[in-house]
Amino acid sequence: MVIENETVSVSKGVFIFKNNFKPIRKSKKDYKKCNRNDNIFTHNLWYQEYSSLWNSLFEDIQKLTSNIFSVMTKDLLEFIKSACNSVTFEIPTAALLTGINMPDHVEQFIALEKQLKDHITPHVATLNSQDCSSMKFLMENLVNQFLNGTDYIYLDEDDMETDQCKDSIKKSFLNFSLLESWYWEQYASRNKCRANQKPLVVIFPDFESFNINILQKFILVASSHLKKLPFVFVFGIATSVSILYYAFPYHVSSKISIKMFKCEQSINLLNNVLENIFLNSFCPFQLGGNVFNLFTDIFLFYDYSVHNFIQNIKYTMMEHFCYGNAMALCNLDKKEVKDMLNIFKHEDFENVRQLKSFRKLVESQEFQNRINLLTNDEYLKNVIFENVLMLQRYIRRLHIFLKCLHVLVHDLPGYPLGKQLRELYAICVSENVCKTQQYNECFQLLGFQSKEDLCLKLEKILDILASVINENSKKTQLKDFFCDLKKYKNLLVNLTDFNVDIEEKEKDSDVNNSFTNQMDRKALKQTLLLRSKQKPKSLNKYEKLRIEILDQLSQNFKIYLVEPSSLYLYEIFFFDNISIQNKIIGIHRSAIHTALNNPHYYLQCNCCEISNTHSIKRTMPDVCIAYKLHLECGKMINMYDWLQAFICIIDVDGSKENENQSKKVDPQIQARFTRAVAELEYLGFIKSSKRKADHVTRLTWGG
Amino acid sequence: MEAKLLALRQTFPGRESQIDQLRNLYGWENEPLAPSVYIYGGPSTGKSAVVLKFFETLEIRHANVNLIECYSAKILFESILNQLTGHRLDPRVGTPYAKCDTLKEFIEHLQNVDKEINLSRCVVILDKAEELRTMDHNLLPSFLRLQELSNLSLSVIFLSEIVFEKYYFRLNIIEPIKIHFPQYTKDELLEILSFDFDLVRELIGNNFSQPIQFDIDFFRNYLNVFLSVFYRACRDLSELRHMSRRNFLKYCEPITRNEFTIKDSMALWKHIAPILKNSLEVLYLRVSTDDASKPIENFAHSLELPFYAKYLLIAAYLASYNSAKDDKRLFMKYHGKKTKTQRDVKQKSKVSEKLNTQMGPNAFTLDRLLAIFYSILYDKVGFNNHLLIQVSSLVELQLLSLASDSSTLDGRKYKCNVNFDCIQSISKMVGFNIRKYLSDFSHM
Repeated sequence: MVIENETVSVSKGVFIFKNNFKPIRKSKKDYKKCNRNDNIFTHNLWYQEYSSLWNSLFEDIQKLTSNIFSVMTKDLLEFIKSACNSVTFEIPTAALLTGINMPDHVEQFIALEKQLKDHITPHVATLNSQDCSSMKFLMENLVNQFLNGTDYIYLDEDDMETDQCKDSIKKSFLNFSLLESWYWEQYASRNKCRANQKPLVVIFPDFESFNINILQKFILVASSHLKKLPFVFVFGIATSVSILYYAFPYHVSSKISIKMFKCEQSINLLNNVLENIFLNSFCPFQLGGNVFNLFTDIFLFYDYSVHNFIQNIKYTMMEHFCYGNAMALCNLDKKEVKDMLNIFKHEDFENVRQLKSFRKLVESQEFQNRINLLTNDEYLKNVIFENVLMLQRYIRRLHIFLKCLHVLVHDLPGYPLGKQLRELYAICVSENVCKTQQYNECFQLLGFQSKEDLCLKLEKILDILASVINENSKKTQLKDFFCDLKKYKNLLVNLTDFNVDIEEKEKDSDVNNSFTNQMDRKALKQTLLLRSKQKPKSLNKYEKLRIEILDQLSQNFKIYLVEPSSLYLYEIFFFDNISIQNKIIGIHRSAIHTALNNPHYYLQCNCCEISNTHSIKRTMPDVCIAYKLHLECGKMINMYDWLQAFICIIDVDGSKENENQSKKVDPQIQARFTRAVAELEYLGFIKSSKRKADHVTRLTWGG
Repeated sequence: MEAKLLALRQTFPGRESQIDQLRNLYGWENEPLAPSVYIYGGPSTGKSAVVLKFFETLEIRHANVNLIECYSAKILFESILNQLTGHRLDPRVGTPYAKCDTLKEFIEHLQNVDKEINLSRCVVILDKAEELRTMDHNLLPSFLRLQELSNLSLSVIFLSEIVFEKYYFRLNIIEPIKIHFPQYTKDELLEILSFDFDLVRELIGNNFSQPIQFDIDFFRNYLNVFLSVFYRACRDLSELRHMSRRNFLKYCEPITRNEFTIKDSMALWKHIAPILKNSLEVLYLRVSTDDASKPIENFAHSLELPFYAKYLLIAAYLASYNSAKDDKRLFMKYHGKKTKTQRDVKQKSKVSEKLNTQMGPNAFTLDRLLAIFYSILYDKVGFNNHLLIQVSSLVELQLLSLASDSSTLDGRKYKCNVNFDCIQSISKMVGFNIRKYLSDFSHM
């Protein structure tokens, strides 16, 4: 009622009611909380498994990345610390060469800012290019960040609630003289010496996107205040240092003294993340070869973004676990799998039965067992448990032996199996690596390795094995393998005698003797051929040992490095559905084409279902009909013909009735047609033509 | 008064006549004040330093504003008022002494201030006065006659690097009194640089574990050697100062290693001469000491681009430096035979200035870029959004630039910003022969 009174007015008007709306920022926490508790999937087993796995992985990733950057950050912090202690006439500037990936940098700069705040100075401001479209915005933004220690964005919200935020300063007052007096109050007024004064660090994460004129001006202004305000700049440069020289003329560049810091290349970063997080025996979720190749291709060919790569993997994980509760078994812990199986219900077992490789499992069994598998849940439970255990062991071994094989082949000439572990992984999970030609090639090449190289490689392999073998555990195949290798290595190290066995030497001399006799060319050729055939026999001790070692290794690889699809129920751990490509890579043009050509694909209605892509139904949306008709035309489209064809499809009955009558077009249909054509023009498929009357030009080709 | 001025002259060698001129204008209490003074001279010739120091020593009330930071006239007015009144901003509130948006308000406030504190004989110094040309149009004429407008005996000093004639954008402005600050001569530079003595001593003490004792003559000797190399290349005081400090450490190094003694100036000269020559090459570059030794690496090699982005960049280069009518001939397999005309023959004998590659980048549409991209790429790749994002990220990296209005989404035009050397090494990296596809080179 009150509201009604307030809005009584002589004329029409719009009235504003403040609804005491609180900005989302504050309620975010509650929002998140309720979101987490009330997720519709929360009670599903697969979701629980997924979220716990992702959270642990994400934590690891963050730890890893912060470790990688820590070296560079440490140098940078050191630089800033030393810069603010010495008296300078130029602004100390750190140029961070970050590589071209913007999305990856955001977190890096946030981490840097936090470290700076923790260790060096509380006064850190980050200026993004989109907030600094003019000198005024830049200044206000900067001064606000220093004074309030918060981000600029929230200022507007604070303005809305002026009563809550008493400290807020009017935006137009934010300028350098205010900053100066603020800084003076912080330090100089309390008679602190210069060494105690904390520097003002300004971070520009995206140097390239900044308006250069504004930046130049800002540097000039800052340098004119340098005596009172000790600035330190950090530029994030994506391309190369020379851009600094292009950007700044001398009178600006003389105001700063630059020191360069290099970041890790993003390709190394990716390898690091992959090797430490995803490609090891702690992560139960494994990518199949096709999907893995797709992701590395996206990385190498399109974006070089580790962040995107991780997000892609996250998406596949969601897709993988979405399959159902069967995926809740994707766990490398024996006990947890057992617990999980105990709470499985009938539907969950059915879910497992739908896995593709379950069929293979059934087929491999005898008749009675087949029935048991298909009907008896209790029986199935045991079978699943056994198979999952096998898979767990397989995954552990797979990664151990992958690493061993990688040690052997990563530096072979020509890189038949690739340089990186990820390349090797991609091969191993998509086919049986031991049967490939590259594998044989590798072992041929390994047959020529010198003693020192082989020794080194064996040592590395022993290290890898030693790190995973539990000393106290009972005898396993792995342990046997380890002991064997150790023995070989000792033999190899102690081997000093390179001489060929005496007997063989004698044989050799026999052959040599045969040379001395005079013979014709043919005979000589034959003896030479004979010699070359005999040659492999004359091996020295090292060569014999080498063959033995390589044989031993190869045998083990053949046992453990089989492709995952040869195992039953491998789908629980491996995701290899390449159809995910359509969701990862957006292809908008083909999406529009599909939508117009086959609306059923998106609408999922019964009326538009078509068997043949070329057929047209009158129930389709008008624009689809017009589109499909225009696909049949050449470069120029006659509007009248197009309209007639349109009418034929829309108005099947009417056209017959009206045959005798004058060919008058129903205005309603004409309007629909006109609208469809206008929509096509808007979508960019046709363009009105000036060359021919009543014609339009087609802008695409093909159908 | 005289003693103070004498000290001032000593701190600024080579600026004696300018200090005298300033003194004639401002030093006499009873004389009327000049309404405006224009001080000009090249960079780092001591304009701001001399003027500020002069007014500080004479204890004349003044306000010094650097015009670069005044992105609006409001800030200029308010900071002048703040400084003249000695108003200290409260960082919690941030209100200036008085709010004034326009020149009229500013003058009113000035007159109000004059009632409280005597503003007569005070000076307003506007540094970087060339900025006035791009600021509001009324500012320059009214600051030139501020005395007249405000009815106060104020004076305005303009400090600038350009001559006053460059301001003639409109008539009817009063000509101010002009003082020129000429470039320092070699002897003056030596004099000024030798003020560094104390600082350099400290520097030596910090950098070497074993401090060496030297006197001012030793340092001046070094400066002589230093200037003999650098004076011809650079007269900029701040750059020279920067370089001399950096190289002095190297000059002293052999002494700390006990190779030469301080007296052995000939040996020291022989030692430092090649170092100075080397550092002459990084003059103005301002890279810090440890990076200076390694040459600036190739731009193309330091660029870390994904595979398709490289091809997109190459396609952009081809689109920028080929004319669109050659596209059919260059990029299509069966482009048909072309009959040679007289014009073609003439075109082939183009002088190098008329080569497409010398003519600067032409704008091209996105469609053309993609068409070229697909024709030069061996394996067929689907057209997807990742590719389109690459185009915009190339723009963000300033390797391409937007040639059309950024608000139009339809038919955007781009230009390629990289040079031929760079694109050549990029195409070498992906194994692509770019000369084959450039109309300038393809007939060779």
